[in-house]
Amino acid sequence: MNPARVPFSRAWRARTRQRLFRHAPTDNQPVVLRHSRIYLLPTRRGLALIATLLTMLLASLNYGLALGIAITFLLTGLLAAAQLHTFRNLAGIEIAPLSAGESFAGGEIAFALALHAGSAARTSIQLATIDGPAVERGNVAAGASLTATLTRPALHRGKVALGRVTLSTDHPFGLWRGWSYVHFPLEGIVFPAPEVSAPPLPLGHGGTQTEAAGRGDDADLAGLRAYQPGDPPQRIAWKAVARGAGWFSKEFEGAGGGGPLMLSWTSLPATLDAEARLSRLTAWVLAAERAARPFALAIPGTMLPPQQGRDHRRAALTALALFDARRA
Amino acid sequence: MHWQRLFVRQSRDAAHMVPLTASQTRCIGALLLAAQLPQAPHLPIWVAAAGVLLVALRLALLRRDRARPLAPPARIPSWTLVLFAVAAAFAVRGSFGYMVGRDPSVAFLFILIAIKFLETRSRRDGTLLVCLACFLLITPFFYSQSIIAAIAALPAILLVGVALDALSTDERDPDRPYAWRAAMKRSGVMMLQGLPVALLLFVLFPRLSAPLWGLPTDFGAQTGLSDSMSPGQISELSLSDAVAFRVDFETEPPPAGQRYWRGPVFSRFDGRTWSAGLTQFGGEFAPNAAPAITYTVTLEPNFRPWLFALDLPAALPRLAAGASTGATVVLTRDQQLLLRAPVTDSVRYTQLSILRSSYPAGADEAAPNLAVGRGNPRTLAFARELREQHPDDKAYIQAILQWFNREAFVYTLAPPFLDRDPVDLFLFDERRGFCEHYASAFVVMLRAAGIPARVVTGYQGGQMNPQGGYLIVRQSDAHAWTEALIDGKWQRFDPTAAVSPSRIELGLGGAMPAGEPVPFLARLDGTWLRTVRLGWDAFNHDWRRNVVGFNYDRQRSLWRDLKLDRFAAWQIVAGLAAIVFLWGALVIGWLMWKRRRQERALVLWDDLNRRLARAGLPRQPHEGPLAFADRAATRWPQFAIAFAAIGKSYATLRYGAPAATRERDALLATLERAIEVLPAPAALRSAE
Repeated sequence: MNPARVPFSRAWRARTRQRLFRHAPTDNQPVVLRHSRIYLLPTRRGLALIATLLTMLLASLNYGLALGIAITFLLTGLLAAAQLHTFRNLAGIEIAPLSAGESFAGGEIAFALALHAGSAARTSIQLATIDGPAVERGNVAAGASLTATLTRPALHRGKVALGRVTLSTDHPFGLWRGWSYVHFPLEGIVFPAPEVSAPPLPLGHGGTQTEAAGRGDDADLAGLRAYQPGDPPQRIAWKAVARGAGWFSKEFEGAGGGGPLMLSWTSLPATLDAEARLSRLTAWVLAAERAARPFALAIPGTMLPPQQGRDHRRAALTALALFDARRA
Repeated sequence: MHWQRLFVRQSRDAAHMVPLTASQTRCIGALLLAAQLPQAPHLPIWVAAAGVLLVALRLALLRRDRARPLAPPARIPSWTLVLFAVAAAFAVRGSFGYMVGRDPSVAFLFILIAIKFLETRSRRDGTLLVCLACFLLITPFFYSQSIIAAIAALPAILLVGVALDALSTDERDPDRPYAWRAAMKRSGVMMLQGLPVALLLFVLFPRLSAPLWGLPTDFGAQTGLSDSMSPGQISELSLSDAVAFRVDFETEPPPAGQRYWRGPVFSRFDGRTWSAGLTQFGGEFAPNAAPAITYTVTLEPNFRPWLFALDLPAALPRLAAGASTGATVVLTRDQQLLLRAPVTDSVRYTQLSILRSSYPAGADEAAPNLAVGRGNPRTLAFARELREQHPDDKAYIQAILQWFNREAFVYTLAPPFLDRDPVDLFLFDERRGFCEHYASAFVVMLRAAGIPARVVTGYQGGQMNPQGGYLIVRQSDAHAWTEALIDGKWQRFDPTAAVSPSRIELGLGGAMPAGEPVPFLARLDGTWLRTVRLGWDAFNHDWRRNVVGFNYDRQRSLWRDLKLDRFAAWQIVAGLAAIVFLWGALVIGWLMWKRRRQERALVLWDDLNRRLARAGLPRQPHEGPLAFADRAATRWPQFAIAFAAIGKSYATLRYGAPAATRERDALLATLERAIEVLPAPAALRSAE
């Protein structure tokens, strides 16, 4: 819709809603918490104290106790000072997105945020995603930084946004809860859950290599060659490294000789639905990587040439994660 | 997502049930003790002892737990606490004779808080106890609002902050000792920061002109006038700041010592209670010799037909227009002004008086003023003995007054209860009394010696409002003095003046030192001690007037002085809002200015980013200062050194360890100079 055509009242409502609840991820790069995004409300303890102060005020007024009124207002002053301190504990914090993690469906996605205290020390700052349980409570000294890791459950394959993050504090006295929302467009990728007890890897171009699905052990070891960047870490000859012989990668019988594997959508039995196929392909990608065999991946919309290594594995898993079922 | 929300909320509930750590319990215990101690002297001894001991018991159990960390924690089963509470309720009921009322309620609260503390386990209980302790802070003021009482409340106020601080710092190693001193300091600093708010609220918050609900019957007999007077029966007269009347003087107001506002006169005495004789209308005004004082009285309703005038009235009052029709005033033979109907609404009248302490008596007035009533044998014997030494009336009266002054008599608002032969008990045993006691005893002694005498009640003194130029006479100014018939004239004598001269000069507030006057102080005649005492009196008087006495009337007069009463409510609210808004704008502006100064590096960096973006090299969001400076240096090699300096100094300023001010300044200067070296964006673009 053309933004100029939106009626003013609706635009205003949308703006207010965004300002109040930060439901859309509009924050970019470091956000400095200012008064316009800090919210303050009394906690239960604060409400209890306010109720007590009201009772005290009423009793003092009725009985004409000037000193009772003075004490009531002194404590009211304390309440007001606590409010200011709670506000100041949040105001000026700089928060920036660092990275989003990856996970298989059913796991948890970790997001890293950088918290910079700014010119004041921060006490008991809580960070939480909308799913709640990921909470970190921390003190940050003035000028110092903190890397906070928040997690969200990875329920389904695809992308998981960090969503709205709540920074909150009830320091000092726990009478007021101050909080602030930041909403970064940070997304983690959830790979499909690998199929449990998946069938062995399909045949490569070179012949029957069903045994290669298992981890290559020393019996299949063909020899060592000089390490090249990109070689998977599990193939590094750690014993040689430990001996001080230098960096070598193991070569396995059949691994190279078997030729690249072809992991293809179309070669799977037609009885499987899309998610089941993705699960099996994921399991195979992992198996191929464990076996250190190069593989190609062909799914509707994506075609990865045969390769191996961490980046290739990641590219394959990402393609599986972001597969659009409508294209199948 | 709803069930997740619900889950989160429940877990927050669970957080409230977090058990208290030992140091948190200790902090709350300290707060409770500090809040209990100022209240304890006003309670029956067993309530005070039980309350304080129960709190101490819990603290002792904590200490035992710490001494034997492996033993199971000492616990008192919850059901015994219910028994405790019920037992305490019955004991309080038995001790006071009733339950619904202020004093038993305070006592029960006092002991209940201690019982609750015994079983306090969770943080929510802790919050509850802090709130209850706050309420306990104001209960001592029911009994005394002296400076001492105010000072006694201060430690507890400070500990409220400490307890809250302890409750909210949870991730504390339970074995590590709680940082008391730091918490005290934090609490004190926050209290000071809240002080302006407190002061503003104290001055501006509207007071009540009348109580919201009826004061409970045990609020104590008010210091006001009644149609009878029983010394020793009203065992505690409390301070009442209710206004009796206000006076605007047209002529120079008389000095405080001469402001006797005449009210009911009592001549009948049964050995215990004074009451008025038969009301006799048709009094005659004393002959006008001295210049008269003219003034206008605004009398608050007293539900009696009494009008008050300076001793002695010289004419009938002129009621202001608007007074109910048919309201006529008469003068009784004992020189009291009576309205035909009780004063149920405020009445305004202009009155003429002559300041004189004697006036001619009628021939038949001696006889009804000689009865001494039943009992009080010691007083009568003592009076006869004294009379033998002083056959002259005036010498005899002087002897009594000197005796009052010499002996250890104490002027107190809280006299002991006198059961039988109240005058005897007062004069020879207790020697602590209010003006009524002195007046009563004095008249009995005069009558015993055959001198006709009677008690006059009314008000004495009053508070001059220096700004408003009017006098406020409060119920607490209620007074009783005497008249003796000597040489055919009624002559005024004020025995209270012999005991407590400051009562007459400074009013009740000046005469009452903090709380209960200590008997040995009253005995002192030493000059410097007397000076100290008078200074203390004056200080206390100021305290009473300006802090304790800051009530509805004083607030109104303050508003009048500030010329605020001319404005409508909305104008005042608008003005306040404008002040708050301006104040906020100033504070925010100052903070922004300060921040810009503090974060000058950030400002410079932002400025550089804008310039380089215009020159065609925008900084990528993920790019740190060093990487960006590197990229710029590759693009414009001729400024490579400047870019390196910029990147390094900015990164150090922003992300380095906190540096000393001088280092920061040096880095800032480097950053500033390096940026200045760069040409304008257009020149940079073409310099590629």
